[in-house]
Amino acid sequence: MLLQIIINGILKGGLYALMALGMSLIWGVMDIINIAHGAFIMLGAYCSYWFFSLLGVDPFISLFLSIFILFVIGYGIQRYLINLVIRATIFITLILAFGIEIFINNLALVMWTADVRKIQVPYGASNFSIGNFVTIPYVRLGAFLIALIIACVFYFILNKTRLGRSIRATSQDLDAARLVGVDVAKTYALTFGLGVGAAGAAGTLWAILFPINPMMGGILTLKSFVVVIIGGLGTMFGPIVGGLTLGVAEALGSNWFGTTYENFISFTILVLVLIFLPRGILGKSE
Amino acid sequence: MKTGIKWLKGLVVSGIVLGLVVSFNIPAYAKNVIKLGCAMSFTGKKSRTGKLYVDSLKLATAAINKAGGIKVAGKAYAIKIVFYDDKSDAAESAKLIEKLIVEDKVNFLLGPYSSGVTIPDSLVAQRYKIPMVEGGGASGKIFSRKNPYIFGTLPSAGQYFGTTLSMLTGFKPKPKSIAIIFGDDKFDLSVAKGAKKNAEKLGLKVVLYEKISESSADFNTILTKVKSLAPDALLMAGHTEGGINLVQQAKELNVNLKMISLTVGPSEADFRKSLGKNAEYIFGVASWSPQMNFKGIIFKSTKDFVAKFKAKYNYDPDYHNASAVAEIAVLKNAIEKAGTLNPEKVRNAIAKTNIETIYGPVRFNPNGQIKGSSVVLQIQGGQVYQVYPKGTKKPIYPMPAWKTR
Repeated sequence: MLLQIIINGILKGGLYALMALGMSLIWGVMDIINIAHGAFIMLGAYCSYWFFSLLGVDPFISLFLSIFILFVIGYGIQRYLINLVIRATIFITLILAFGIEIFINNLALVMWTADVRKIQVPYGASNFSIGNFVTIPYVRLGAFLIALIIACVFYFILNKTRLGRSIRATSQDLDAARLVGVDVAKTYALTFGLGVGAAGAAGTLWAILFPINPMMGGILTLKSFVVVIIGGLGTMFGPIVGGLTLGVAEALGSNWFGTTYENFISFTILVLVLIFLPRGILGKSE
Repeated sequence: MKTGIKWLKGLVVSGIVLGLVVSFNIPAYAKNVIKLGCAMSFTGKKSRTGKLYVDSLKLATAAINKAGGIKVAGKAYAIKIVFYDDKSDAAESAKLIEKLIVEDKVNFLLGPYSSGVTIPDSLVAQRYKIPMVEGGGASGKIFSRKNPYIFGTLPSAGQYFGTTLSMLTGFKPKPKSIAIIFGDDKFDLSVAKGAKKNAEKLGLKVVLYEKISESSADFNTILTKVKSLAPDALLMAGHTEGGINLVQQAKELNVNLKMISLTVGPSEADFRKSLGKNAEYIFGVASWSPQMNFKGIIFKSTKDFVAKFKAKYNYDPDYHNASAVAEIAVLKNAIEKAGTLNPEKVRNAIAKTNIETIYGPVRFNPNGQIKGSSVVLQIQGGQVYQVYPKGTKKPIYPMPAWKTR
């Protein structure tokens, strides 16, 4: 039973990792704590819900569509909204992100109503068993693998492409990057787009596993925040380590103390990490 | 660019306003109007079920107004409900009830949804001595406060699983053990406590009795526990979203039980739509089902109500909907019997209620809660049927294992 619980935790941790990936990127590069992150996850979930219920598109295919749509939304919001205040103090961007969250949530309430919805694919809950001990649901395994693949793609983009180099350059030294000809506004918009696109992917996978509603984003923003802190900023593998740590800790903790303690456990780990590893498990020292 | 931002701002503001206040007016009968106040979950965690009440309350009041309104001492009055959105939040709801009484000067109050919200609301009603008829809270805690101004149309939460358990112990071979899990909510707690007591009295072993956090969406840990304890039946006191998660994840982890029963969910169309085929054989509890047959005072009969409701809203009503109609029926009857709008006299008339409604006969216990019990439902072939006592279909027990379906 313990083995099953740890595996449950790892699979859930993969989803946490994907959720936090985008938030970590935006935070690391631009120093924006994107409070609206959960709202973007929610939009990604509804994108795939629409493709599924109106056009019958399988969510594992509409995953790419929802990444693309959220990328465009993220790019636009950064280019034409957040860039206007990017030089102001952190509170201004925080408040702006908060405003965007309220706007998106209420828009979603009007568009989709508060009804609980779910993408019900035929293979939705099928699983395979290893021996008599462990049952693994296919969809959770798929979500886990996709999270890892997207993290690798991010790693590749950041380390091997020109775009990645300009993103890293901008985050390291804004003025120097500008001097060598990096279009900062555009780089910021692309980064934000990538981060929000990853949120879209997380949303799609969430919608396959769980029911969705327009107000689901708040708690997901918090979880992503915790994962980013635990894993550490400034590396693409921080969110993965953070996500897996949180997933397994929650699973074990809720087994030992009861499921109502799930959030208690998340935030206890957050505090412990802040005290003993203030830069997170993988965070780089400056 | 600038106008773009202005436009956005405007949209944000209108979005917020829309989200905060939802109210509607009936323009006719400018003078003779009975105002009812209602703070309901238009948004927030419980908005899905809140909507069921709103739809029903609107349909029932429209039906009364169309038929000439309520007669008070020879004069006809139209009914108007003043709605506010309490965001499924108890503190917010209590504030809104006060606003309804003080600013909107409503004559009588209707309840919100869920027990935790009803308790503070009922205390405000008591403070201002305005009777409140509610159909959305069943916890014993609402009615144990010697509050003479609260009346509820849902049967006692402690007895919610009573009929389910007596059905369960009638099956052969007789089940030996059950697991009870419950959400972090006053109603769920009352249901679970009552169920545990009932189960032990009937000789069932309660192998798991645990509180769960419905907001987390993850039931993997609790289901892994249930799987290793292998009880015959799992009873959950929770809400729709939790129920969907539980059943979906029970299949994901291949947790096979002879019976899964939920308090809220199976009777709602969303639950069946969200789960599709996986919703089959799931049991539910309700104080009412559309297959019942009663005569009513607002609608001719249960059948008449169900037909009119489906024509208007395009989904099947469940017990929440019927309970909301009963709220209005109780008030209409009491106001007519009292022959005045005096809150005290109407309160006394409500206490003496003895009517048949599309929801069933309504009489109140001295504590204000309806006299009645629940029925057992089961989803069979994508439809909900009353299966016990003397339902339209026989209960299917045990549920077939996931892999053999």
